[in-house]
Amino acid sequence: MQTSKKIVILGHFGVGKTSLIRRFVEDSFSDNYKVSIGVHITKKVVEIAAGDSMSLILWDLEGTDDLETIRNSYLLGTHGVIFVFDVTRPSTFQNINTDLKIVTEKLPNIPLLVIGNKTDLVVIKELEELLNKNQISTDFLTSAKTGDAVNDVFLKLVNQLNGAT
Amino acid sequence: MNEKDKLEILKDILFTDDREYAEKIAKRIAILEQTINEQKKLTTKVSPIVENQLKEFTKSIPTSLGPTITATLKEEIKKNKDEIVDALFPILGKMIKKYIAQEIKLLSEKINNQLSTKGWKRKFKSWFGGIKEEELILSELSSASIEQVLLIEKNSGILTASYSKTDTMDQEMISGMLTAIKTFVEDAFNQKNQNLELIEYELYQIHLQSFINYYIAVIISGNYTLTSKNKVQDLIFNFYDQFMDIKKSKTLNKDVIEKELAQNFNNADI
Ligand SMILES: Nc1nc2c(ncn2[C@@H]2O[C@H](COP(=O)(O)OP(=O)(O)OP(=O)(O)O)[C@@H](O)[C@H]2O)c(=O)[nH]1
Ligand SMILES: [Mg+2]
Repeated sequence: MQTSKKIVILGHFGVGKTSLIRRFVEDSFSDNYKVSIGVHITKKVVEIAAGDSMSLILWDLEGTDDLETIRNSYLLGTHGVIFVFDVTRPSTFQNINTDLKIVTEKLPNIPLLVIGNKTDLVVIKELEELLNKNQISTDFLTSAKTGDAVNDVFLKLVNQLNGAT
Repeated sequence: MNEKDKLEILKDILFTDDREYAEKIAKRIAILEQTINEQKKLTTKVSPIVENQLKEFTKSIPTSLGPTITATLKEEIKKNKDEIVDALFPILGKMIKKYIAQEIKLLSEKINNQLSTKGWKRKFKSWFGGIKEEELILSELSSASIEQVLLIEKNSGILTASYSKTDTMDQEMISGMLTAIKTFVEDAFNQKNQNLELIEYELYQIHLQSFINYYIAVIISGNYTLTSKNKVQDLIFNFYDQFMDIKKSKTLNKDVIEKELAQNFNNADI
């Protein structure tokens, strides 16, 4: 049996949403920054058990510093959401709790994972201290560049979605 | 009955002695017992009564139960508005289409009676474009054909079932993209009740028909004329009607829906 789930990836500009998807789907990375405009859709099928798979339809939305401006119509029927911030740019996470509140208001009662990306550019120990100090909790700290923890993000989401059905 | 007879009866009632009276009652009871014991006799007596009561009851339903039924129906409709509209959509769609088609036919007959526009248009095109008239006729005839049909969940853009003549791009991704485009356009023009109906993409035309919870995308190659469009619409409505039945009777089974899709759209002449 194959089920399909709609996943949206949200976050401020340039935090690495597109790069995370590309790493997960194609296992590749590029340093070139091409701003996403509108929405781009990709797909990846993940095995969940013998003969059972889940088809993730990934909606890569353009970045925005004001999450209120996201088109609600793009969010309709979403099964899971990934919120990404850039660990090297405090502006992308200093108001994270307000941002997350907006996200959960727009998308209530579905799995939400919080990701700090670009860990290859920082010292993990220092980062963890900084996040702790600011009371920011994350599900994963990733690097789309090295691939660190990227698959884990999507696999955790698949597990949560699988448990939900 | 004359005066004398009446008097006799009165006498009988007033002066019958007790013994005679008791005898009469005993007789009655015996008859009753017999009647009760013999089921057949009872039924013949009871059936007409029940039947009568039932008739009375049926007659009085509108007044006695009517308000309750109406209230329940209203409540159900309120609760399942989408389902009901969805079920009505194909029927209404067909009705409206028939009406409009009829009107258009009348209109075009009127026009055709006045002048053969198409012929003249073709002549003009051929004069100015340097193309032979016969070739133009041929190009107008190169018929449209259905390449793919996608049944898509409206909100999430997730593909529910599909029919495909040729295997091309990933249909799940097409479904997502079409949904994003559709959402964007409908949002941008800020017209809640208007739906994007046609997307032209290179050699293909993508015909979109929205319902409440789903929409159907038919990907067409070739010359997509108004006549073809009309036929495609009919195919869509017919299929959706059947789909609603499938939805009602079973849990959504992809194979069943895809069989239905293929039956409706495979080799369809449009
Ligand atoms: N070093 C490093 N650079 C990254 C990483 N992820 C993304 N980048 C870079 O950051 C820039 C932005 O990445 P994108 O993936 O386009 O970011 P985005 O969130 O999709 O951007 P928008 O869609 O415009 O909001 C690009 O130049 C990427 O190469 C990472 O993990 N490490
Ligand atoms: Mg992007």
